[in-house]
Amino acid sequence: MIPINIACEDPLSEAVALKILKEGQRVFTVGAVYRKNGKTYLKQKVNGFNKASRGMPYLFLVDLDNDGCPPELINSWMGDQTKNPNFIFRVAVEEIEAWILADIENFSSFIGVNTALIPSESDTIHNPKEFLINLVKSSSKREIKASIIPSKNSTAKVGPNYNGKLIEFVNTRWSLTVAQRRSKSLGKTINAINSFTYQSAATNE
Amino acid sequence: MLVERIILKNWRNFKHVDVEVVERIFLVGPNASGKSNFLDVFRFLRDIAKPGGGLQKAVIDRGGISKIRCLAARKYPDIEIEIHMSDDSETKWQYAIGIKQESRGYRNALLVYEKVVKNGELILNRPDEDDNNDELRLTQTYIEQIIANQPFRDIQKFFGAIGYLHLVPQLVKNPYAFKGQGLDDDPFGLSFLDKVAKTHERLRNSKLKKIEAVLRLAIPQLKRLSFQMDDTGFPHLQALYEHWRPTGAYQQEDQFSDGTLRIIGLMWVLLEGDSLLLLEEPELSLNAGIVEKLPGLIFRIISSKKKNRQIMLSTHSSDLLSDPGIGGEEILLLSTSRDGTEIRVASSILDVKELLSQGFSVGDAVLPRVNPRGLFHLDELSLFEGEE
Repeated sequence: MIPINIACEDPLSEAVALKILKEGQRVFTVGAVYRKNGKTYLKQKVNGFNKASRGMPYLFLVDLDNDGCPPELINSWMGDQTKNPNFIFRVAVEEIEAWILADIENFSSFIGVNTALIPSESDTIHNPKEFLINLVKSSSKREIKASIIPSKNSTAKVGPNYNGKLIEFVNTRWSLTVAQRRSKSLGKTINAINSFTYQSAATNE
Repeated sequence: MLVERIILKNWRNFKHVDVEVVERIFLVGPNASGKSNFLDVFRFLRDIAKPGGGLQKAVIDRGGISKIRCLAARKYPDIEIEIHMSDDSETKWQYAIGIKQESRGYRNALLVYEKVVKNGELILNRPDEDDNNDELRLTQTYIEQIIANQPFRDIQKFFGAIGYLHLVPQLVKNPYAFKGQGLDDDPFGLSFLDKVAKTHERLRNSKLKKIEAVLRLAIPQLKRLSFQMDDTGFPHLQALYEHWRPTGAYQQEDQFSDGTLRIIGLMWVLLEGDSLLLLEEPELSLNAGIVEKLPGLIFRIISSKKKNRQIMLSTHSSDLLSDPGIGGEEILLLSTSRDGTEIRVASSILDVKELLSQGFSVGDAVLPRVNPRGLFHLDELSLFEGEE
């Protein structure tokens, strides 16, 4: 059993991270989840988490957004410090929503749209969150629409139960086996977790 | 007098606790992990030691031994409390009691033992010969008896003066709607105004002036806080609020906001007494900007006193714990398991310590650990029939 902490952007990426750890080939026990709704907090604290992972592994999961490609983001965030072997730094291209959309069959049936509306390479979707919300607009399910799409005059960017609905999908319907075939960044993350070897504090100086 | 170490066995939801504490303590843990139960140890000791108190009353007020004893307890049904303290003249004290229930008759609470250690020397060790000849003696502690507690009266005074306030604004605003038997020591502020009224005028004015100074910063339109007796002899707090009328307007406590009353109550107890003070969630009803300043404010008030004063407070607030001046050694982290709740000093946990050394605030490093894992499934929970 490998103890691990998670650092991620929001409740949805937390659900995704937990699912990946749970269904991987290693047995992880998750201690704490560090998140503060957004990327800024992670960027500020990346050094801290990297150093802290000397004692306890961290899965550090962040959205790429418009920051070039994953290696670029990792290099610019890490600067000149060395990545600790216990520090699993993974980037979702472009956003965590792309990983969810990658399970085309289950997701389209969950929200009630035609499978043909979702591209088969989900890492190529530009602005996946916006894409997902627009996709739900053609849904036949009233409750899904009310949860995910922001109401007309609202300043909110997402609906009132956006995270809740998508987390429900992740926990109950989302198939990693299917999704990783259609998202490279998800596939690489799953591989990294399956091949992770824990270096305890004693051996890791 | 400062508490240095607390050892508990079978107290409420703690099967076993052994923690060292410093002058300012923040209790952090999930809901129903036992933060209030932990503070209740000190209220229990106060209830034993205060005038008119005593072991029997303290137990009965809590619903009897079966309500106090830990549910996770199996083999060792005795409840044990041991407190290590030191006073201003560096005298080290230890007070320890074990309690069980009488197996027949009135089911009184009985002492299994009562011990006092002063500077390493055992100066009280019960049961003694007299106790063995007369079991009824074991229904009372020595600490509650003036005749018996003379060699360790300092402990009795300290316990008896422990302060606690969890002010409920609605009780202060509508005391007559809730008048009943009332609780000893008024933990929720039902008779807060009476307490203010009974305070000597000069002391009262000086306290209100300090409170007013804080309120004026927190509530810009508030100008003056004062105390008044109305014509029928009831006490009131009133504040002058500035608005478009040149003279402003007075409002009384029933018109104060919840936050205003919470600040007044909090400041009042902070300024009162010099024994251990217990506070439950001081952040309630207050806006994030004030909450952030509370740890510093509390520190300033308690350190301005002649004697060192100790504070233990429970909190859920990341704003409060964002203060960079709070150390990991000041945080007691409560975590639940099937075997009751465990308490650990946050800085003794390896990965918390690593994060703290990387410049994380205690809130950032500790609070994520107290989120219950089950919440993760709240989004799937079907709360309404027929929901799809």
